[in-house]
Amino acid sequence: MNKTTNDDRSTVQRVLEGDFDAFETLVEKYQARIYRHLRKMVKDDPCAEDLLQETFLNAYRGLKGFSGESSFSTWLFRIATNNALMFLRKRRPESVQYDDEIGDHANPFYMTASPEFVSTPLEILLSEEGRRQLEEAIEGLPVLYRSVLVLKDVEGFSLEEVSQIMDTSIPAVKSRLHRARNAVRESLVEYYLDRDMSG
Amino acid sequence: MIEMKTCKDFCDHLSDYLEGDIGEKECELIKEHLDKCPPCELIFRSLRKTVDICGKGVSAGIPEEVRIRLKNFLREHCGKT
Repeated sequence: MNKTTNDDRSTVQRVLEGDFDAFETLVEKYQARIYRHLRKMVKDDPCAEDLLQETFLNAYRGLKGFSGESSFSTWLFRIATNNALMFLRKRRPESVQYDDEIGDHANPFYMTASPEFVSTPLEILLSEEGRRQLEEAIEGLPVLYRSVLVLKDVEGFSLEEVSQIMDTSIPAVKSRLHRARNAVRESLVEYYLDRDMSG
Repeated sequence: MIEMKTCKDFCDHLSDYLEGDIGEKECELIKEHLDKCPPCELIFRSLRKTVDICGKGVSAGIPEEVRIRLKNFLREHCGKT
């Protein structure tokens, strides 16, 4: 068990003993990551803020049910993900289809990579323009693919943790992650190819 | 043992290969294929770069007003005065 997991468990224990300041410590620690995850899921800032408040309120009220079998962060992200999926099912049910595929990637043929993207320096890829392209590529994915990619490659959860958060099997996580990564890759490859040719 | 014959077969497992989440034998086969197939090797490098910038390029900022409203909301609803 790592130090963060241990620290979180002792903080959770203090909250359960009535220490509200300890809960605010957990909020302070996770609010930015949860907000980023919710923004990526629902793609609407005011709704993401409502869901952020709901997530921490649910977490506070449900803390007695936190068994400690998973890490606190996995448990918290699962609450946030469930809230966002419930919201999307109610508001945009067509956006949460489990058999939703990424365009032609149901049977990907792998667009041949051009070298422009691979040779683009990191400072350009991580410039304001580069970040915008990356965010657009991620936001173009269907929500279940987008969520898996954000949890794994942005938030750094393991495949097993992502499967717990998304309440799905590890093979399903791996399949969605593979397709999501490939779709983002193709979008970036195309963008940097066009950018190179035009400039 | 996963059967891999075509470039597409190999590319289907590049994400698992990147994770190190693949058998030793399959790992060797993919490595051998990438060594002798420049297009697949380029696809692999672009995939690795994609994953790398995903981890660095998505901002985690939260606006100050969102932070303050969350704090006030929780104090109001969780009983802290």
